[in-house]
Amino acid sequence: MPRQWIGILRKRTEVGAAVVTILLVIGFTATTEGVWLSNANMREVLRVTSILAMMAFGEALVITTGQIDVSVGSIFGVVGILFLALGPQIGAPLAILIALVAAIAIGAVNGFIVAYFRISPLVVTLGTLFVFRGLAIGATQNPPYYAADNTMRANPIYQIFGSSDVFGYNNALVWAIVTLLFLHYVLFWTPIGNRLLAVGGNAESARSRGVSIMYTKWGAYVACGFFAGLAGILETSDLGYVDGSFGRQRELQAIAAAVLGGCALAGGRSSIVGTFLGAFILSGIQSYLVINSIPPQWFILLLGLIVVLVSLGNRVLTHLLTRLARAEKTKD
Amino acid sequence: MAETRNALIEMKNINLDFGTVNALSDVSVNFYQGELVGLVGDNGAGKTTLIRILSGMYAPTSGEVYFDGQRITRFHPKLAIDLGIETIQQTVGLCDNLSIARNYYLGREPVKRWLGIIPVLDFAKMRESSNKVIRNFGLRDTVNVDDEVALLSGGEGQSFKIGRAVDFRNRVIIMDEPTNHLSVRERAHVNELALQLRDQGLLVIYITHDIFQVHRLADRIVILENGRKVVDILKAEMSAEALEQIIRDGGREASEGTA
Repeated sequence: MPRQWIGILRKRTEVGAAVVTILLVIGFTATTEGVWLSNANMREVLRVTSILAMMAFGEALVITTGQIDVSVGSIFGVVGILFLALGPQIGAPLAILIALVAAIAIGAVNGFIVAYFRISPLVVTLGTLFVFRGLAIGATQNPPYYAADNTMRANPIYQIFGSSDVFGYNNALVWAIVTLLFLHYVLFWTPIGNRLLAVGGNAESARSRGVSIMYTKWGAYVACGFFAGLAGILETSDLGYVDGSFGRQRELQAIAAAVLGGCALAGGRSSIVGTFLGAFILSGIQSYLVINSIPPQWFILLLGLIVVLVSLGNRVLTHLLTRLARAEKTKD
Repeated sequence: MAETRNALIEMKNINLDFGTVNALSDVSVNFYQGELVGLVGDNGAGKTTLIRILSGMYAPTSGEVYFDGQRITRFHPKLAIDLGIETIQQTVGLCDNLSIARNYYLGREPVKRWLGIIPVLDFAKMRESSNKVIRNFGLRDTVNVDDEVALLSGGEGQSFKIGRAVDFRNRVIIMDEPTNHLSVRERAHVNELALQLRDQGLLVIYITHDIFQVHRLADRIVILENGRKVVDILKAEMSAEALEQIIRDGGREASEGTA
């Protein structure tokens, strides 16, 4: 394999996701007589992609530091409920603000327990997954759901958060693209990103250079909470109602999108662009199943398989490419 | 001679407990500028624990540490680095997943501003400084600064860490078992670098369990055993063989002698 190729494959972890995306677009379009790629279908696929990507971006930051947050589905749900429960009383702008502060607070709690007490992130966030799911269900007993009223819907701030269109596409896409550009910049062009990657790659080495492992991990969780909450608002704003099951099983989708996008679960390797493509692949598959009248339950099976197989593949490929690159170095 | 100068680092009656384990007991030792000190002892003697206090990884349970006459009360890796104390450890210091250029300034990354406001890593500076170091410190010509550290050999990693420490104009370089897992030629290269640093006026603390290796390099030898200092002498005062015997005897003879 030419040396440049090895270099590109090693450094650009999203190459795999890009290739899969192209293959799926061609395959899905061909086998649905173009329905999958039709404008109407793409509008929905891109909206779903954007909201999933928003969650997955936060997840990707946490995964970059070598941690995991499996509670994002519940954060998504609780924040959506808070938004629509408060909105009719205090108005959309203030409800959004409070909901986002709550999202940051939840992320901060997750991060503090994981980073300060150094407890397994899987256990901690599995716990908070259930805590906030429990709260979501508890808050939707009576009434069983919350809905946006007409005053709220008419508020332009409400509409900017996921329920109006830009060039025919739901504006969640704009949110996702702006976030993508911003996080790509933060992760690869700033000292903060350098430290997130370093902590994920080798925490003790980062610490020996004076990087705070605790604050770095904590910050990733805070961002993760924020973006999961923002995704919840974008989705509830579009749907206009929310119940206790809102956001269930989204956590695995967010993790799958990040892993598909080339984020190594061990940390230190990550791609924001890839994470977006990962979200697109998952949304695309979901839509393809719907078009072909395949029961959506099968998507869960597929999702589980994707997470396991792709993380395995990532790992094998990384080892192989590192070996090849090392060999190239010693050859001449 | 040394005693008339002011110590750069003064450690007084240092104790460090991990739970019920007494890792260091009542260790007092001085380090002076421009000397190469061999810190020797068997595995578990407390060598690494002692220098981890200097590198800010651990805080002593009791005792006093002075740097350049100033009492040190807070221990954190960042503070140690700011004081100019650099620790070179075999397993720690470089992130395999990052490029050489990104590793170089990790923790104190240079930033320039786009349009005068947006902070961005100064990649040009990162590449230039790290390139100078890898060319001066004997890395293979095929290695370039955008390569990840995972592609370096063990000796190249060590050389790069030493080069980085030198370039940052440190005052103290602590080398923790710097030649483990290195080839013979790489080992000679690293030892040569240690002497050069000393000649440039830095304090070099060289940790090893190989008394013969360090006896050739060091000006002074300090031996720890079971968390206690059992020997602290100028190299000329004792042969490597005699020192090795003390380590073999678990430091008993020496501590009885000085008690």
